[in-house]
Amino acid sequence: MTKNPTNPENEKMLKEDYLWDASGTPDLEIQRLESLLAEFRHTNRALVLPAQIPVAPRKFRALLIPMLTLPRLATATAILLAAGLTLFFFPRPKPEPETGPAWDVANLQGAPQIGTKAIAANQTAAKFRVGQTLVTNNDSRASLSEADLGEIRIDPNSRVRLVQTDANRKRIQLDVGTIHAAIWAPPGTFVVDTPSAVAIDLGCSYTLHVAPDGSGELHTTYGWVGFHLLGRDSFIPAGAMCSTRPEQGPGIPYFEDATPAFREAIVQFDSSVENSAERSAAIAKILSEARAHDALSLWHLLFRVNAAERSQVYARFAVLVPPPQGVTRPGILNLDQSMLDLWWNSLGLGEISQWRFWQQSAYPQPPPNTQPLLQEK
Amino acid sequence: MNGVQETGGPDDALVRAAQHGDRAAFGLLYARYSRMVHGILLARVPFSDVDDLVQDVFLQALPRLNTLREISRFPGWLASIARNRAIDFHRRTKPTDEFDEESDSAQSGTHAPFANHSSHSSAEAHAILQAIRSLPDAYREPLILRLVEGMTGPEIAARTGLTHGSVRVTLHRGMQQLREILGRKASPPTGGAL
Repeated sequence: MTKNPTNPENEKMLKEDYLWDASGTPDLEIQRLESLLAEFRHTNRALVLPAQIPVAPRKFRALLIPMLTLPRLATATAILLAAGLTLFFFPRPKPEPETGPAWDVANLQGAPQIGTKAIAANQTAAKFRVGQTLVTNNDSRASLSEADLGEIRIDPNSRVRLVQTDANRKRIQLDVGTIHAAIWAPPGTFVVDTPSAVAIDLGCSYTLHVAPDGSGELHTTYGWVGFHLLGRDSFIPAGAMCSTRPEQGPGIPYFEDATPAFREAIVQFDSSVENSAERSAAIAKILSEARAHDALSLWHLLFRVNAAERSQVYARFAVLVPPPQGVTRPGILNLDQSMLDLWWNSLGLGEISQWRFWQQSAYPQPPPNTQPLLQEK
Repeated sequence: MNGVQETGGPDDALVRAAQHGDRAAFGLLYARYSRMVHGILLARVPFSDVDDLVQDVFLQALPRLNTLREISRFPGWLASIARNRAIDFHRRTKPTDEFDEESDSAQSGTHAPFANHSSHSSAEAHAILQAIRSLPDAYREPLILRLVEGMTGPEIAARTGLTHGSVRVTLHRGMQQLREILGRKASPPTGGAL
């Protein structure tokens, strides 16, 4: 549609800035409508995904059209199609799985449930199978254990689904609530899906909390954990924490013994808009407050700032932790992965090869278009 | 011009990753598009059923994602699923069960929508929502996304795949019609002031 400035309706329309983008002089009438109608607004309820997702065939249309041109096959195709659609859409009860690999589950308090069945306090042989969901209410807790994995304690008001358990991967989905994981499986084996990030155990124990809005927080007590979303990675070693948000993925991890000003600046950075004055102020505060120990945060910051800011971060980082042999300023400013890996390893927080190995096993053929998100700035 | 954007969408990478089975990417798509889906459904079905239907829409979309050939069409494709889900909801629901929640306020029709009657605000809100629902399809969706979901015009354009011009026009004309309806409701037959 082309706007004609001589058309009175167009002129009026162009003046309705507040209706268009809430800018300009507030329109009191529209503000009142917004206020009244706010009770119907979406509440950001977390999405609950099934463990097994059926996948529709990609070439369906391409196959269907030529088949329908063959008269003898047309009737048979129509019947098969109708039957298939009926089976696909017809609501049918899904039986609780009773076989297959399972984890032990124990009642620690109250009446945690798997599906609709409560786990009794003295029940010794309860099993948690792939596809099942464990739910705790506000006064119940439970624990999951598996001989080759470790133990996961589930706090009240949590919902956990077992997604996968085999020799190479143990995977749960934490929709909401808090878990405490103590893992002895090889690094990269235990994975937790949350609404805003995936947590990958790299040999550790940690606490992971997911809020009803899908945001999360991870505190590592031993070893280290990787937080991942679409190529945005954060590594959280013992004593550190990291937040994650549905719109943004993992934030900058930081040690919990950092100065209050440093921690506040990290939170401010994570919630700020790029190229804003708020972000510039947060970076300046992070750099001025950083101790050598806080190189953890500076290393992550390198990936999430623009070129000019990266130069500042490099300068401070190099003062706190001199770059090891083989790491150069131009290489870091260009986000050379091998140099960044070398510098990370020099921090003594864990060998990054463990992470690269997990990446390779989890995403052997990454989607081509994820690259721009990997290098955000 | 059909009012649909032809360029690649900002969420293409997310859609592609979700097509490859990245559940976190799908979660992010949910975070970005759930308000739009909520608004589309709210324009058509009772408020009390909207939250569950939002979940249904995304659970229907997920297994079909890899049938989406042009990923830049994801917003419009998802919106279509939401509209179809609303139609399906009405097919399965008895007509007498529909919109019970609004019946009191809708029947009264005596509230002055732009006056300050805080004690009746909820009933008034239902009456206004009902008035928006009475508008033509093309107007009620953008108005609900703007006034209820708090999205701006540019956001509505980005999320629905419509052009800025198209959204601006529908918001403007929809708001004009809404004012007329609410003005009629607010005025007694003798034509008194609000």
